[in-house]
Amino acid sequence: MPEIKASSMEPGKKAKINNTGILFIVLVVLFALFSYIGRPFFFSVLNLIPMLNNLSFIGIIAAVLTMVMVTGEIDFSIGGNIGLTACLVAFLLSKGMSGWIVVVIALFGGAVMGAFNGFLATVVGVNSMIATIGTMFIWRGIGYTLSNGESMLAVNPVIDFIGRGFIFKVIPFPIVIFIIIFVVTYVVMNLSKWGRSIYAIGTNPMASYLSGINVKKVKFINFLLCGITASLGGLILTSLSAVGMPQHGQGLELVIISGIVLGGTALGGGKGEILGTLAGTLILSILYNFLTIMNVYYYYIQIVQGAVLVLVVATYEIRQSRALKRV
Amino acid sequence: MANDNGIVLKMENIIKTFPGVVALDDVSIELYKGEVLGILGENGAGKSTLIKILAGNYIKDSGSIFVDGKKFEIKNPSEAMASGIRVIYQELNSLNNLTVAENIFVGEQLVKGPFKIVDWKAMNKRAAEILKELNVELDPNAIIGDLSISEKQVVEIAKAISKEAKILVMDEPTAALSEEETQSLFKIIQTLKSRGVSIIYISHRLKEIFEITDRVVILRDGKNVGLRKTNETNANELVNLMVGRDIKEMYPKREVPIGEVVLEVKNLNAEGFKDISFNLRRGEILGIFGLLGSGRTALVKALFGANKIHSGDIIINGKKVNVKSPKIARDEKVGLVPLDRKVEGLALHLGVKENVTLANIEDLGKGFLINKKLEKMKAQKWVQELGIKTPTLEQEVNSLSGGNQQKVVLAKWLESGSKIIILNEPTRGIDVGAKIEIYKLMQNLCEEGSAVIMISSELPEILSIADRILVMSKGRITAQYSRTEATEEKLLQSACI
Repeated sequence: MPEIKASSMEPGKKAKINNTGILFIVLVVLFALFSYIGRPFFFSVLNLIPMLNNLSFIGIIAAVLTMVMVTGEIDFSIGGNIGLTACLVAFLLSKGMSGWIVVVIALFGGAVMGAFNGFLATVVGVNSMIATIGTMFIWRGIGYTLSNGESMLAVNPVIDFIGRGFIFKVIPFPIVIFIIIFVVTYVVMNLSKWGRSIYAIGTNPMASYLSGINVKKVKFINFLLCGITASLGGLILTSLSAVGMPQHGQGLELVIISGIVLGGTALGGGKGEILGTLAGTLILSILYNFLTIMNVYYYYIQIVQGAVLVLVVATYEIRQSRALKRV
Repeated sequence: MANDNGIVLKMENIIKTFPGVVALDDVSIELYKGEVLGILGENGAGKSTLIKILAGNYIKDSGSIFVDGKKFEIKNPSEAMASGIRVIYQELNSLNNLTVAENIFVGEQLVKGPFKIVDWKAMNKRAAEILKELNVELDPNAIIGDLSISEKQVVEIAKAISKEAKILVMDEPTAALSEEETQSLFKIIQTLKSRGVSIIYISHRLKEIFEITDRVVILRDGKNVGLRKTNETNANELVNLMVGRDIKEMYPKREVPIGEVVLEVKNLNAEGFKDISFNLRRGEILGIFGLLGSGRTALVKALFGANKIHSGDIIINGKKVNVKSPKIARDEKVGLVPLDRKVEGLALHLGVKENVTLANIEDLGKGFLINKKLEKMKAQKWVQELGIKTPTLEQEVNSLSGGNQQKVVLAKWLESGSKIIILNEPTRGIDVGAKIEIYKLMQNLCEEGSAVIMISSELPEILSIADRILVMSKGRITAQYSRTEATEEKLLQSACI
């Protein structure tokens, strides 16, 4: 090999693995701590199963949103998507439609929502943060219209199974979906050509475009996938609660984005790993679950959620500006 | 002469390194009151880095700076300004929607009354005075966006001296100017000089160095390789110092048999240029020369599908191609090594192998997944073939030197099988050794049956390397010379039509 001329600085892979590693250590420590303080309830099947179910729909959306964020875009409309999907499912079931068809329509609806976000961000060229805050309200507004602002019962064998079913009688179905989505996104991001394009675009969209990569197409499809996944999350949540209501998923985008950024994804794109997102969302999930079972008042939890987001992003910004100062 | 008046600026033993490259290696300069000190060096010699340190844009690694004999740590641009150091950059920072007077007084508008209302009258009057001191005719109320580049430059100079400039640095001020405009700039410099302003004049054009400077410092590969009194030296000596080797060795030229036409451009029109027609043959290096703003970058971007074409035809290998996107250009085996490799050419935070294969991700394996072994093989091949110096294939390209980064960009197009390779200022910001390698690589490509378009504003380079030279000015091709016909004078003249 040619001799080394470069300096010792080699950030890249090693540093990132360390960061993710640290997050997993934090996760284990917190889990142990919460199990102790919150004993005996925190570490019990009665708590862990609902917590994992909750985590599952947050986690799958976080995984796919990570792909969107690595390209330098963002999708705030996921919460609105969940609300609309929940109402749509309940509405269609109330019209007597069969469960399977409802699932297909719900996911298709998610694809339409994602495609619309993608259209705004890539074809029209609206800043995706603004565009998706707008569509977040549109989706939820449609949800309110469909449901007349009320919660509607959503009970159907197929829908029930999505959130409350078990595989081999022991593994909750949402957890299965969660694991599948994480494995798939991990493979996509780390091993596939698609993932390579995503990282290239996030690192330098102009150079990627000038290298013949179809930047808009990649971003568009990521938005589309994110829409479908958010609807899948909506289906799980509807099933878990057995009702469809427009308030479903409200504020969830902040929890999910906090988890992703905590997991090391850069807000400007280019950096981010599925394993980091996994660790970040797990940490926040057990934190909020812990606060809930410790009977912390719901309003206070909201304060904590907002504070966590600001704190995580602030830490990220400080790290960024430190990195810049080194030059 | 100037010496009697003492030293206004001393930079001593300045060292500055960037990842992978030593930009300044123990450079010292002294500047006397009322003198014009030339800094001469090829692209990448360290001129700009030195100035950015003086201007507070970069922090030096070590060394000291003395202003008026006092040691001075410049930590940011405002500190540099406060001590009377003004820099006029090549890319002007004018505010295009404001007037001349507003630009001159930007940030410190003249105000009147208790409510600090902007005093337009006073501002326009003072602006007119300053412009008059510089002996230029310019309306203080004119909108900057409507002015020519040279007029904008004058406004920048006026802005600089409106605030007590002791040291005025000009970074390649004539890069976009015609001969006439250059002469009026020199008049302004003389005026400033007579008022006791010290001027650092950066250029790689020898003619100007002889015309305007009192002394000249020569930088090469980040080192100070010589200091001469301008009237005691000659062009030969300066070139030898600047290049550090014989001209023949610097610009190795091999004759390659020229083949059939591979690219034909007919009456092409787009934003930035008009009615361009030319052709390119196999084995040929076609040079395109032009000043800043002549439309050369717009032209190659349009050829590559990155800029929209309004009308005209691009014919590649006899086939008319609608080059709507870089993807189409790539599929037609056209490659672009862009002007700013960090912004347009490389994903800086990805590794060497990711960048080498950036234009060909689809070819990294049969199905959906990347075949890591294949990827490694491909990257390894080009690292060896082009002599890219990198510790590993995973190394972030950000930490490579400019020359190696440029080779990575080139490797990207070779990996995608490009047969028509367009290089926009290929040797900008890379050291002399790497330049020679790039020249050799270009000629290897021609020998292997490719064709090369090279845009360059470095006269010796384009005169020695290109087989044929097109000159552009104001968006049009104004002349075409074969290598034997072309001279510096002819090119500059045609570039200013």
